[in-house]
This record gives sequence, structure tokens and C-alpha cells, in this order.
Amino acid sequence: MVKIKCPIEVLQIANDIKTMKIRGAGRIARAAAKALKIAAEKYEGPDDVEVFIAYIDHAAKILLETRPTAVSLPNAIMYVITRLRRKRPINMAEAKALVAKLSNEFIKYSLTATEEIGIIGSRRILSGDVVLTHCNSTAALSVIIHAHKQGKDIKVYATETRPKFQGHITVRTLLSEGIDVTLIPDSAVRYIMKKVNKVIVGADTVAANGAVVNKIGTSNIALAAHEARVRVFVAAETYKFSPATVIGELVEIEERDPREIVDEKYLKENPNVTVRNPAFDITPPEYIDAIITEEGLIPPQAAYLILIEKFGWIIQDYFISKYPSRGEDEE
Amino acid sequence: MPSKVIVSKLIQDIISWNIRSSTELVERTFETLETLTKKSASINDLVLNTTHVISEVIKVRPTSAMLINCSRDILAVLNKVVGERLKLDESKTAILNKLMELRQKITDDIERIATIGANRIVSGDKIMTSAYSRTVMKIFEKALEQNKKFEVYITESRPGDDGKIVASELGKLGLKVTLILDSAMRYFMKYVTKVFLGAEAVAANGAVISKVGSSLMALIAHEARVRVFIAASTLKFNYETVFGELVKIPHAPEETILPKEVKQKIGELVKTEIPILDVIPPEYVDAIITEYGVIAPQAIPLLMRDVLRAWPLQATDVYVVIDRILKAINNG
Repeated sequence: MVKIKCPIEVLQIANDIKTMKIRGAGRIARAAAKALKIAAEKYEGPDDVEVFIAYIDHAAKILLETRPTAVSLPNAIMYVITRLRRKRPINMAEAKALVAKLSNEFIKYSLTATEEIGIIGSRRILSGDVVLTHCNSTAALSVIIHAHKQGKDIKVYATETRPKFQGHITVRTLLSEGIDVTLIPDSAVRYIMKKVNKVIVGADTVAANGAVVNKIGTSNIALAAHEARVRVFVAAETYKFSPATVIGELVEIEERDPREIVDEKYLKENPNVTVRNPAFDITPPEYIDAIITEEGLIPPQAAYLILIEKFGWIIQDYFISKYPSRGEDEE
Repeated sequence: MPSKVIVSKLIQDIISWNIRSSTELVERTFETLETLTKKSASINDLVLNTTHVISEVIKVRPTSAMLINCSRDILAVLNKVVGERLKLDESKTAILNKLMELRQKITDDIERIATIGANRIVSGDKIMTSAYSRTVMKIFEKALEQNKKFEVYITESRPGDDGKIVASELGKLGLKVTLILDSAMRYFMKYVTKVFLGAEAVAANGAVISKVGSSLMALIAHEARVRVFIAASTLKFNYETVFGELVKIPHAPEETILPKEVKQKIGELVKTEIPILDVIPPEYVDAIITEYGVIAPQAIPLLMRDVLRAWPLQATDVYVVIDRILKAINNG
């Protein structure tokens, strides 16, 4: 089969994602979806749908290779690709239009998701609630801000979130909305839990079993909340759900530079001290009461439902790529 | 330096977390008492100085059981001084001897606890701890002397970042130390075999008051079926709690986590809540290592009885004793 070259604009976007010129889960996802649309529009190969699909697959592969660990990226790409295959367009015009439509659809979905999460989640917040949040999650803050705008009287505790103090950004955002917010050290989450009646955090990745990968410290909070019978809500757009985990892939936890915690001088002066700085931890589903997605509020154990509904064919593709023999059997 | 200045410097050091361990807090209080005792020009002076130091320090650290218990002993001497109308130099000697005796007891206790605690460590252990505990560090030192091969995970321990200092000191002993964030406790607990923590106070029901974050660590250890050991001398037993007294948790000043310039940037309306201690419920404590041996937290009242050689216990409020002494001297 002929390989059609990938347009320069698509390569440029791929490069921008790779060099982190484009960053943030949502922005990466939208850029990738847009790149596929551009690829479809710029297609100059033969009038053969099969060739066109192979060409889009090729562009997708280039984009996928930019950031192998971010889950939003493969999800954006697979959103387009799997639906394209599923629809089996009969001619080129239909195929091109379909990619454009799917790409637009994904971008719109990603843009509106946080807003919808805010609306859905805010229904769970009552006047008088005391909410604890960790790190700085746009989706979690969307829930709090929506509830506040509905006139609900809420008090928020925000952890400072070492090492990078993302809690300060959370404080600033909430204060600018006129919300009562108190900053606490990460070590005080169990102490404060008896004053709290809801925990709302974001997610980096949601695994197939409903486990949530999020900023380090999230699982401390979820456990302390569980002990105190305080409800834990995770606000997560569906593109944060990881199809790869369905086939048993593990979510890799990034360990970052120790100099985020201590300075160079400290490391030099203390050769016997190792400083370890994992960026994320995993909260097991049993400590999560619900995941608030733009599609609705689900128990974490129902993550599989979202994965199958949103990314069903991706999962099948993963199976085929991992276990070719099994894929052939199914054909 | 005038007495008032000496006392206010001590108080400032406590509030601003320059004194990290509760044993050190007591030692620094003793030093101040010693200086002021020597400076006192009359019995009146001696009584006022001593009661002033004690009441000011307890006001800012009402949770420190060792401080309260030692103060009670010192006040008993003062009571005797006033009651028996001792001469000034006799009185000074009595107070100084008491301070020396208590100091010796604290040192001996740490030594015995360290010996017992070190027995609990075996080669291959990965021990997690938090905050600055003189006693826990001594346990590690002893175990190291016994050539046990183990390593220690220490949390940063905000506010105050005690963990950075502990990691550094343990590292210098030649111990393999890993410094982690407070947030990373649960992440690393699966690699850990034991948790060792120090204490500010042990309540009658076996609850342990320790640096904030300790109760989170104990909960996380409990979840992971990791044993939690508390190193605490019986001087840290909080006898008042037998009578149902609740322990009030002191808070650190805002600047300990939020420097002024950061506050300006994120918004002046932000509030902070920075407890310096929290309470570990007895169900998350596997054993308390005292100078009398290892006991279950639920057996604390028993040990309290043995230490005081009395039941029901008697623990008069320190402020009541101070009032009584001051009244006696005014009437005298």
C-alpha cells in the first residue's frame, strides 16, 4: 500500500506537543484532534477509502509517539480513529467529512466537559458544606465555583500541595470568586477531616477498575476521608479514562527531580540522604464515592462502562496489537 | 539580660518552631529556670521567676505532658520552700537539684527506651518516621551500633520541615535515609515494615499526641498492616486526661507555611489553619515503648498507677498549684 506523506502542519503540532509548547491534558488532546482534521483536509492521495484510513492511522501514530504517557492524547486520537473505522465511510468525501466532524466533536466535548462536570457536581454540594480539595484541578474547582454561583454557602480547605504549591493557585482562583478558603499543610489532612464533609479532587488518569491516579497526597486524603465517613468525589473528564488499563497495562508513576523538595546544596551535603519525589499516587476505588464526569456521576467501579462506551474500539485495537492471534480469531 | 527578656526569647523560640522536639522544649525550659534561679535575689524573686517561666511556657505548649509533669515536681519544691520558709541559698539549691534530677531522669529514660526500641528493629527493616523526635533518633542510633542493616523513610514534616533536619542528622550517622513528602506517606507505606514515632503526650486512653501528620501516618500504617511503635517516657503521660480533660491543640503562626509576599500574591483574604500536633487514636498504636518496657496503649492507666504509686490518681492543675504558692507568699 502506498504511504502518503503527513502534512507539515500536522508534524508541527506533533512537535509542539513533544517539546511541551502545547501542554495540559485538555490542550494536548484538542491539538491532536485538530491535527487529524488538518491531515484529512490536506489528503492528496488516491481516491480510495482504505488508503485514506491507513494515511490517517499513520498521522495518528506520529501524534501518539509524542508523549507516550499522557492518557488524554491517545484518547483524543482514538476518539476519531475508531469512529472512522466503525462508520466504514463509502466514499472519500464522506470519509474526509467524518474526520472533520469527529475532530470538531471531540474539541467541543473537551471544551464543554469541565463546564458540565461543574453543573453535575454542584448538585451534590449543599449550602453549609465544608469541602477539602487538593492540588489545583480545573474540574474540581468548576464544581465548587458552580455551587457557589448557585448561592450555596461553602467553605473550602485547600492543601498547600508540596512540592510545587499548586494549592496557592487554587486559593487565588477561589478567592477571586469570593469563596471562603483556608490553606492547610498536607500533613494536616487527617486533623482537618473532622471539620470537612466532602472531598473533591481532580484526576490525571482513571484506570479500568476505577482507581484514580492523581497528584501525590490524594490517596492520603481519600483514606482519611474514608475513615471519617466523608464522601470523596473525583471530577474527571471522560478523556482522562485510560483504555490501556483495560488490557492490564499499568499506569506508570513519574518520579520528579528531588530539587523540587530540597536544594542542590542539601543534596551535596547529605550524600546518605536520598530524596524521592513521586508526582502521583493511586487511590483505590473503594475510597472513592463517585467520579463526576460530563456524562454523569458514576461509581468508580463503573469506569469500565465509560471506557467501553467512549473507547470500546480502542480497547479492541489494543487487544489486537498486543495479542495478534486473539485479534485474528475474532475477525 | 533581664529575666523578662530571657523568658520572652524562650517563648518566641517555641512559637516560631525553633525548638522542634518536646524533650528539647523541656531542656530549654530547665536552662531558663536554672539561669533565673541563680539570678534571683530573694525568695520572692525566686518564686515569681519560677512560676512566671512555668506558666508562660505551658500557656504556649499546653500539650507537652513532660513539661507539665516536670513543672509539677518543680512547683512541689517551690511549695516546700515557701511552706517551710527556707533560706534563699537553700531554696536555690533545692530547685537546682530538682532540675538536675529531672534532667538525669530524662536522659536515663531516653537511654532505656532506645535500648528497648532498638531490640524491636531487625536487619532488613524499612522504617518510616516523621518529625523531630530525640528518642526515636536515639533508637536508630542504638540499632545502628548493633550493626543492624535497616533504612529509614522520613517525611518532610511540614510545618517546620523537621524531616530535612532529621534526614541530615541520620544520614551523618551513616544510616540510609530517604526523604519524602508528607503527601507521599501512603505511596511509600507499601515498602515499609515498621513505623516509629515520638510523642508530645500520651493520654489515659492510650491516645498519643504527636507532631501533625503522625496520626495520618498511623492511619496509613494501620491500613497497610504495618506496626506502629511510639517511643515515650512515662514523663510524657498526661495524667490530667484520666479526669476527662481534653487536650487543646496549639497552632503555628501563618508565616510557617505562608510567607507574607506569597500571601500578597495569592490574596490577603486567605486564611490558614496550621495545627502543630494531632492525636493518634489508640487503635492505630501497636505498642508504646517506655522506660518500663513495651506496653499496649490500652494498658496506660495501669502503668500510670504504677508510676505514681497511687490509684485513683492525683494530678492537680499546675495553675492551681501556682496560685496556691503565690497566695502563700503574699500572705507570708
